[in-house]
Amino acid sequence: MQRDWPDIWGGAVLAVTGLCVAIWSGLRLDFGTLRAMGPGFFPTVLGVALAMLGVAVAVPALRRGAEPVPVRLGDLAAVIASILIFGLGMEWLGMVPACFIAVLTASVPAPCKGWLWRLVLAVAVTAVTFVVFELGLQMGLPVWPGQ
Amino acid sequence: MTALDGIAYGFGVALQPGVLIYCLLGVTLGTFIGVLPGIGAMAAISLLLPITFYIAPEAALIMLAGVYYGAQYGGAVASILLRLPGTPQSAVTTLDGYPLARQGKAGVALFVSMVSSFIGSVLGIIVLVVLAGWLSRAATAFGAADYAAMMILGLVAASTIGSDRPMKGFAMVVLGLILGCVGTDVNSGAQRFTFGQTELLDGINLVALAMGLFGVAEVVGNIRDAERQGVPEKVRFSQMMPTREDLLRMPLPMLRGSTLGAFFGALPGTGSTLSSFLSYAMEQRVSRHPERFGKGAIEGIAAPEAANNAASITAFVPTLTLGIPGDPIMALMLGALVIHGVQPGPLMLDARPEMFWGLVVSFGIGNLLLLILNLPLIGIWVSMLRIPFRYLYPAILIFVCLGVYSVRESGFDIVVVAVVGIAGYLMALAKFSPALLLLGFVLGPLIETNLRRALLISRGDPIVFLERPIACGFVIGTLVLILLTIWQSWRRRARARQVA
Repeated sequence: MQRDWPDIWGGAVLAVTGLCVAIWSGLRLDFGTLRAMGPGFFPTVLGVALAMLGVAVAVPALRRGAEPVPVRLGDLAAVIASILIFGLGMEWLGMVPACFIAVLTASVPAPCKGWLWRLVLAVAVTAVTFVVFELGLQMGLPVWPGQ
Repeated sequence: MTALDGIAYGFGVALQPGVLIYCLLGVTLGTFIGVLPGIGAMAAISLLLPITFYIAPEAALIMLAGVYYGAQYGGAVASILLRLPGTPQSAVTTLDGYPLARQGKAGVALFVSMVSSFIGSVLGIIVLVVLAGWLSRAATAFGAADYAAMMILGLVAASTIGSDRPMKGFAMVVLGLILGCVGTDVNSGAQRFTFGQTELLDGINLVALAMGLFGVAEVVGNIRDAERQGVPEKVRFSQMMPTREDLLRMPLPMLRGSTLGAFFGALPGTGSTLSSFLSYAMEQRVSRHPERFGKGAIEGIAAPEAANNAASITAFVPTLTLGIPGDPIMALMLGALVIHGVQPGPLMLDARPEMFWGLVVSFGIGNLLLLILNLPLIGIWVSMLRIPFRYLYPAILIFVCLGVYSVRESGFDIVVVAVVGIAGYLMALAKFSPALLLLGFVLGPLIETNLRRALLISRGDPIVFLERPIACGFVIGTLVLILLTIWQSWRRRARARQVA
């Protein structure tokens, strides 16, 4: 057993977010009155509410134990990298190379050894993507680099 | 339009080949998604949202709805065979479904779950037609204050009912409301939290937010866990026939489950997961042999499976007649409708009858398709469970990207998916509900507009929320829920102190 870190951190992040939202909208947006609410009314009130809720989540958690949760940052990194490679690389690299590299990247954390299946999977997914989105739906994305 | 005219009209809409094919596509995809543990209806619907921009709004809604209730059918398969709920709604089916499978009666368990799902849906459709007609007439009396009060009640109900840490739920709803503020303020034209990004002028893209919160986060969370599942045994159609005794034990639990599910589904904020748990608890209480539950009781599958399907149909009642989504999945549906320029609300039944009646009839057709297809094809669905997750998730990620990108060809939205995906994964780990965040996000602008309008009309006097009988009822409901939550947590703490 250890301290309930997820709730402590989660509550703290929410409290800080709420505070920032309230301060930003308090300074930058017109608050208005209850009769004629300005654009700042709703966000300021919500920011204060979020800050208070964050504290209400974090403080009781300080005195509470919880099972540790396994955080898989490696898996997360591979998935996010794969999204950015494909999503942003599509225009620059073209769909086919971007898809191939993105699938390879995404498959890195999969709990199964060997590179052959990863290459085969990347080829297969790229082929399906090409057939469905380029030939089928005709999305008109660049297929190869420099197009 | 009377209900009978409406249904006849609905057949004309739903039986068009162009619509029927999307209904079939929706229910098939829904079953597939439901069968696979790790990807829920939420992720599936977010994945399909971009496709709906290319088809007619009624076909789009019918397809997305098909995914939702189709997933309720499929969810039971993994629950029964692997003790892994395919969807949260079918988690309770593991309790008796898995023991039955261990006794070699997996086929019977699947049969019971499919038939119960069908019966639940049929009852849900009847309740939907009756309630929607009545509610949309009553709702014409609703003013801005009533809408605002009702939506706040819905949010409070969603974050407190059935939650062991209501504070975290509230916090997620409020965070969602704040994210809903991003963009240009409708009343004043002021820019809120856009930080000079032109892509944010219309607010955060719903598709990108939903895909990040559900698609990405679910993929990351399942890369390792989904691989550890066992391999199911083969199930053939011939093994599905229940005995006479099994058949006799089904009807009453199915009826009780459907009734309970239809009721809770129509309430904003509760939804199908809760109703499946409640109906299981109810069956156990009314049963003359409560000791059989948990060891393979047919009733323990029939009631919750009927309940979650009935609830998934009646969940459309508040969404379509009031324009207020009862649960996060309905929030996504509402978002899809608004993107298509359809504003759900009391006027929709008259203004867009093809949407409402087409959807109602498609529920009937879709459920019939599910029953006819799933019983003989069960073997195929079971073999789907043999596909390792590592072959599926890279493809899912590619579809996420293409889906988000295709909405407005914006690389900015891809970055949103990545950022929201990181946040969504951490939120799932720390058990902060991303579904409640999405509900707040969709309802936020509606609440703000109605709140501002109500207070403008009343000249800034908040007493308007107590003077109008409808609004006052919702305010009282909200206060009762909050007090109940405080009392519950106080009692829990007192009990914990007694134990210690």
